[in-house]
Amino acid sequence: MQDFAVRVEGLVVSYGTFVAVDGLSFNVKNNEVYGLLGPNGAGKTTTLKVLVGVLEPRAGKVEIYDTPISNEVAAKSQIGYVPEEVVLFDSLTPREFFEFTASLRRLEAGAANSRLEKLASAFDITRYFDTPVAALSMGNKQKVAIVAALLHEPRLLILDEPLIGLDARSSKILKELIVFHAKKGGAVIFSTHIMEVAEKLCTKVGIISKGKLIGEGTVDELRKLVKGAEGSLEDIFLKVTEQETGIQELIRALEEE
Amino acid sequence: MKFRELWRVSSTVTKEVSFQSVFSTRAGSSLPRRGSTGVAQLVRNAKYNMWISKVLTTIFICAFGFVMFIPQLGQTVFLGTSKEFTIIASVSTFLAAVLFFIVFMGLQVATSLVSSKIADTLSPLPLSKKEVSNVIFLCLIRIFDLPLLAALVVLPTAYLMIGGSIAGGSISVVATIVTEIFALALTIGLARFFYSKVAGGGGRSKWKTVTRFLFMLVWMVPAFGTYFVINFAEVILKSFASFTQVLGPSMELLVLVFPFSFGFLVSYVSNLQAASIPTLALSTMSSVLYVVFAFYCFRWVTTTLRRIGTGRIVGAVRETVKDTIIRPRRPWLGIIRKDLAIASRSPSYAVLFLLPALQVAVLAVSFSSFEAGFVVTTGVLTGISMTTLVLPPTMFSIEGLASSYTRSLPLRKRTLILAKTLLAVFIYSLSVIALLAIALFVKRDFTSEILFGALYLFSIAAASMLELTILARKFWKEGFALGNVYARLSTFMLILVPGYALAWAPMIAAFVAYVLAESFVLPVFLGVALAEFIAMSLIVYRQG
Repeated sequence: MQDFAVRVEGLVVSYGTFVAVDGLSFNVKNNEVYGLLGPNGAGKTTTLKVLVGVLEPRAGKVEIYDTPISNEVAAKSQIGYVPEEVVLFDSLTPREFFEFTASLRRLEAGAANSRLEKLASAFDITRYFDTPVAALSMGNKQKVAIVAALLHEPRLLILDEPLIGLDARSSKILKELIVFHAKKGGAVIFSTHIMEVAEKLCTKVGIISKGKLIGEGTVDELRKLVKGAEGSLEDIFLKVTEQETGIQELIRALEEE
Repeated sequence: MKFRELWRVSSTVTKEVSFQSVFSTRAGSSLPRRGSTGVAQLVRNAKYNMWISKVLTTIFICAFGFVMFIPQLGQTVFLGTSKEFTIIASVSTFLAAVLFFIVFMGLQVATSLVSSKIADTLSPLPLSKKEVSNVIFLCLIRIFDLPLLAALVVLPTAYLMIGGSIAGGSISVVATIVTEIFALALTIGLARFFYSKVAGGGGRSKWKTVTRFLFMLVWMVPAFGTYFVINFAEVILKSFASFTQVLGPSMELLVLVFPFSFGFLVSYVSNLQAASIPTLALSTMSSVLYVVFAFYCFRWVTTTLRRIGTGRIVGAVRETVKDTIIRPRRPWLGIIRKDLAIASRSPSYAVLFLLPALQVAVLAVSFSSFEAGFVVTTGVLTGISMTTLVLPPTMFSIEGLASSYTRSLPLRKRTLILAKTLLAVFIYSLSVIALLAIALFVKRDFTSEILFGALYLFSIAAASMLELTILARKFWKEGFALGNVYARLSTFMLILVPGYALAWAPMIAAFVAYVLAESFVLPVFLGVALAEFIAMSLIVYRQG
């Protein structure tokens, strides 16, 4: 069994002249929940899109379980992905959408249906099965994307802000599933802005800013590395990304208005 | 809020509605994350689309008005009927055409207006409910302004030019306003119906998919109505003029029907001597009733728009769910099923899916007066191939609707090409079947067209594969962001030209054989078509 679920080396992604990801390198092992953190526009989503083959990098190496991402079908078969902006086929119903993704993933009907029934029930979307995606709320669209990502029991889960829009119940279930997935040998990479969630779920955290990895390790390791950041992951994050200075002054200025 | 401010707000909302109508046909999800120039281009395209649509409709209305009235200049008798009958025919046909043009032009944008959640954006702003409704009403006016104005000017002007009276001219203005109100009500009604029954319709049964396609067909009728009106304007006028004359005593019944009531009134007001008192009275009475009806239609339009404004019209269609069973198929079949489901709910795709079969009917009628033979066969096949080969790029662009997700799926290029080619060939086959049905119906010998049509399947498949291969190579990395035909005309040409060249090669080769040695026409045609098919199949297989 391969040790590394994901290997990224010297990843560079640019949009025209703008370099969104600049020489990023990191690894994710099996049994690991890797949290990708960073301020808005840091390059998290871009990185995740490269990992799932939605974007092509300008340079660098990306491997999913030792398979280069350029070997699209083999690499993508092992991934379950929830994008940040859930844009599905609006005119399809969730049932039609699941049928489509299950067909492309060549799933066997019996196994797929058995898993789908459980997932649909867990995320409470059964009653929306024949309603067009366009008519669903943002949260329900997110649930459809999550169920589609989990349907084929992927080894690697790549989740971009997966908790946004979810109700408390679904959010709890997903968090439990993430932990369970890693425990039984899978790997998870997810990006989030909710530091408490990252602190609770992640076995390892990578902090990126302006497309570069500026800190990596467990929360404890980061705490030791960053001087003066003895509190929460939020403190560490703000310190590392140099966003801490001036916050109090700004808040005071707003309060005085 | 002052009218000027509401008018300004309505401009922004109209831009958004037209943007949404283009956005739905474009790669909605795959706009480059930081590609502001790409988004700006899309916004510009949306603006141009609306203007192109408006200007084209205006030109059609003006051209139609002149086709109807100019030949009557200085003539007392036209098309073998009296002048008053010709005026009845001209005015009525013009009003019917205005109705068609406006409904057809506005349907897509109006559907966006009905389905867009404008209320979500406008409601939190400091605007009263009435102001929100007014903004939406002004949007509707903005969508249709030029054509409405053109119709209002063209009819009275043309009518006065052929020697009509001031009273008749004034009635023609009222008739145009009534027609425009009917057109707006019909557009909003159809758009609302379409959104609730088709676009927003869920369900899982095959019957529901078939029903949606049938609704779509009804929705498309104005398009074909416009086509026929434009192409057969003179024939319509002639037929109607003869029809009204032949009717004689039973003509009074026609007087009661819109738009003839106005046609009679406008004509007889100019020439009271020619009018029979009962007919004049009936046409006046029915015209007044239509004015009253138009008033109610106008109120219905404003009420409906108010409901859009308050967000009460966009309702989710919730289906009762019995189970969560799915039926995964082979990947290519999964893609085809997905494409059909999307097309059954999207007019911009459905129109192209149904077009080849409908076009074959038009072509068969057009060619029915010619002697059967090679020339007619190639003419019919050229026509069908032209519409069929628009399908592969359109079907390819469907993937762009959710490419930020689908690009993460394990999809092979050749699977995608295979699926889309099979679907294009299937739709082409429907055209050939339609041709066969027409041949049986009109009892005409279409053997040659059907034989060549069946063999031509290889060539259509090869040309589709060629188009899709070019597309896959060019757009695979971009996430299928092909866009619509207005947005990237040069790209579409780049794809269609080689497609057409390949599709027409067997016909050109067969034509050469026809000139040199007629008995070799069929083998040469089949040989070239087969060779193309085999070559393209090999190229696609090597795509990976």
